[in-house]
Amino acid sequence: MPEGEVVGLVGESGCGKTTAARALTGVVPANARIAGGRVTFGGRDLLAFGAKDWDGVRWRQIAFIPQSAMNSLDPVYRVGTQIREVLRHRGGLGRGESDRRVDELFSMVGIAPERQQDYPHQFSGGMRQRAAIALALALNPRLVIADEPVTALDVIVQRQVLDTFRDLQVRLGLSAILVTHDISVVAYACDRVVVMYAGKVVEAGPVRAVLEAPSHPYTMGLYNAFPDLGRASGTLVPIEGNPPDLRDPPKGCRFAPRCPFAVAKCREAQPPTVTVAPGHTAACWRLDEAPQLRQLAREEQTWLRSSTSAA
Amino acid sequence: MAEAAVAVPAAAAGRRFRLPKIDPYAAIGLTIYVVFFLVALFADRIATHDPLEILFDDDGNLLSNVAPGAAHVLGTTNLGRDIFSQLVMGTRNALIVGVSAAIVVASLGTLVGLVAGFFGKWVDTLLMRVADVALGIPFLPFVIVLAAFMGAQTSNVVIAVALLLWPNTARVIRSQVLTVRERAFIEAARVTGSSTWRILFVHVMPNILPLTFLYGSIAVGWAILTEASVSFLGFGPSDSISWGYMLQDAYGSQAMSRGTYFWFVPPGICIILVVVAGFFISRGYEEILFPKLKD
Amino acid sequence: MPRIVTRLLHMLLVLWAVATILFLMFRLMPGDPTLAYIDTTFSAEQRQQLLVMFGLDRPLHEQYFIYLWNLLQGELGTSFHYKRPVLDLVLSVLPNTVVLTFVSLLLAYIFGVLVGAWLAWRRGSWLEGVVIPSVLALRAAPEFWLGMVLLATLGFGLGIFPSGGANSPGATFSSEWARIFSLDYAQHLVLPTLTLFLYLQGLPLLLMRSNMLEVMQEDFIMMARMKGLSERSIMLRHAARNAMLPVVTAFALGFGGSIGGNVVVESVFSWPGLGRLLVNAVAGNDYPLAQGAFLLITMFLVVMNFVADLLYSALDPRVSHG
Repeated sequence: MPEGEVVGLVGESGCGKTTAARALTGVVPANARIAGGRVTFGGRDLLAFGAKDWDGVRWRQIAFIPQSAMNSLDPVYRVGTQIREVLRHRGGLGRGESDRRVDELFSMVGIAPERQQDYPHQFSGGMRQRAAIALALALNPRLVIADEPVTALDVIVQRQVLDTFRDLQVRLGLSAILVTHDISVVAYACDRVVVMYAGKVVEAGPVRAVLEAPSHPYTMGLYNAFPDLGRASGTLVPIEGNPPDLRDPPKGCRFAPRCPFAVAKCREAQPPTVTVAPGHTAACWRLDEAPQLRQLAREEQTWLRSSTSAA
Repeated sequence: MAEAAVAVPAAAAGRRFRLPKIDPYAAIGLTIYVVFFLVALFADRIATHDPLEILFDDDGNLLSNVAPGAAHVLGTTNLGRDIFSQLVMGTRNALIVGVSAAIVVASLGTLVGLVAGFFGKWVDTLLMRVADVALGIPFLPFVIVLAAFMGAQTSNVVIAVALLLWPNTARVIRSQVLTVRERAFIEAARVTGSSTWRILFVHVMPNILPLTFLYGSIAVGWAILTEASVSFLGFGPSDSISWGYMLQDAYGSQAMSRGTYFWFVPPGICIILVVVAGFFISRGYEEILFPKLKD
Repeated sequence: MPRIVTRLLHMLLVLWAVATILFLMFRLMPGDPTLAYIDTTFSAEQRQQLLVMFGLDRPLHEQYFIYLWNLLQGELGTSFHYKRPVLDLVLSVLPNTVVLTFVSLLLAYIFGVLVGAWLAWRRGSWLEGVVIPSVLALRAAPEFWLGMVLLATLGFGLGIFPSGGANSPGATFSSEWARIFSLDYAQHLVLPTLTLFLYLQGLPLLLMRSNMLEVMQEDFIMMARMKGLSERSIMLRHAARNAMLPVVTAFALGFGGSIGGNVVVESVFSWPGLGRLLVNAVAGNDYPLAQGAFLLITMFLVVMNFVADLLYSALDPRVSHG
């Protein structure tokens, strides 16, 4: 995770992105269990953190922008009050300092400072997301995790909010993880992209490289399933089927059951993660054939159920 | 594994009206109901004495305030009446009041809720205003005044309870009907030309019956409590034995200052048990109706 | 503003409807319709005066308008038993009822909110299995029976508390306020308050618990955790503050409802309040007094329903800052 960059974490809903993002803040539901792997932040292992360690990191170093600020802001307090709460209780700021900081944060994200007297329900959807960004930036964190920050907004407002986010990220030299299912958001706002499927990273690399030359069939499929970028014909081609139940993942490559290019091997063993270009990795058994598969992937026919047996 | 597979079809078949077997509260509630129902049914055989008979010993002395023992399971009142027999006979009265009030409240509330929710417009406005007025009337004072003026009969207590309790049921049923009405299968029935009444009773009704049962089981407890209060205040029927009547008798005869706990504690416990059973059963239903409450 | 106006109109409509029902109820009683205001023990002169005042010699619909007009002026007739104006009588016992209701309700809600919130926080512990059934049992118990048990144990058994009334016989006080704030009054207040408290605490407790459990599932609570706010601050400032909203409304509703619901407890402890006045009036066929007491109880209920509505909108910014 490079400093000062925005990493997009992309995948369909229900494939573990939100869980992964929330695990980074150390707030997980009681039934969750971290099964393995390592998470390091600034050279320290987050999984080994105790309550005290988390206290130093939460919001002060790692802040969070939620998908729906409507539900994530407390409905009975004014927006300004909620930012002030963080500044005073977590940032140790005094009354006057925190008032000034709230004004500053509001103008940074482009909301008139006098609107801090409003309650969350009085804000429009775009303003709420901006307020959520202001809240996240309150304590100058090193890392911001944004979980589908613009999904609930219409396209024009999405652009505006993303512009604000991107602008502030560059200006403040922030690192950010942007979790989304929308590959166009990744293309618009990220430097690097990590593609996840069923809880596993299937492809990762610089945005340009990954989007121009996707190496994993899942990335190719995602690419087709979204407007704006897609194919010349402009039709959207969904990937058939749904992500697997994570309590009982399929053997072998987890994408194999839905992959139009799956071969026998894919169903038997998990493919290793291979570096395809500098900084660009992917995990697929048919990486060598990637250029040809890319050609095929552009054909709408490839993604229709009936054709899966062809490969 | 095999057991579970066998159990599934039966459970799925009667799911809508079946009490959840797993919920221990509901199971306890049902057990209490069944026990009291059996006691009420066989009250004549269970009671050891005539509840109103004044008892004397062999020497002709009044058996006043006899402590619990072999002859009198719960002792006697200060006028020499057998407390256990009164308690057993009182069960009958309590269940009659509770069940009949519950039936009236649940059916009236369901009917009003159905009509208001389904037909909407002015019908809805009118019925809901009437419900507001009914909820603006103080409950117990109204029942007392009504019982006093219309005559101290069990049926009048039931009527008074029903007159004031139906709005709660009606409001909930109405909002449920409003959501059910918008669902696809109702739309489908409408498109295929089913009559309004058919839609109402065949398609909407089954979806709200669990709520009817829920409010019915709560009304059982309310009615019994109310009847007890009215009897305690001396406005109850004087010709039949009820738990409220027993408590009034005990209160009026200074049972508290005499410390004859065996007289006034058992009727209270019985009332608590029946009312709590209603709560427990409604809790069981709630877990079917509002599953999110579970976790 | 418009919301308040509609609620106010709504309240007046309910009051009018209840007054009308009451008129019909007392008019349609078996026997002489003049019974509603005139007792056989009254002198001929008194009879004549009351006949004119309530228009009892006129047709029913005229009587109705005279009745409403009299109500608006607070003219409720004369008690058969006490031979005094009904309004004076009901107002003289009102403080006793208000004190009893308010004190027990306040204690019940403070206790219920705290214990309910705490139970939600410690959800799933063995305490739940003990506390919830006990709370349900207390809610299911008839109030008068709880009163009888307390009277037998604490009143007669231990002899600590007086068994009935609001003041010791023969006690005199310089003013109504001196009476209410006297130690004697407080001692008399303990048992009825405890009875009502035991009965009333269940609702706020269960309500607070389930609201807390619901609020704790909300996203903003998880956000508060991510922010690293202290558990205390999350529970009090965010979870409890949100869960309190319906409880506050329930308090106002409970206050309106208890004024009439105290009828039995006041009777058990011979507490000279509105409910006991009503019961005695009904039992003694003192119709004007019964009607007056009933009307006052109703007014409390309806006005408190209105207040509950206002309170809710004042406390929930989603309503007040629409």
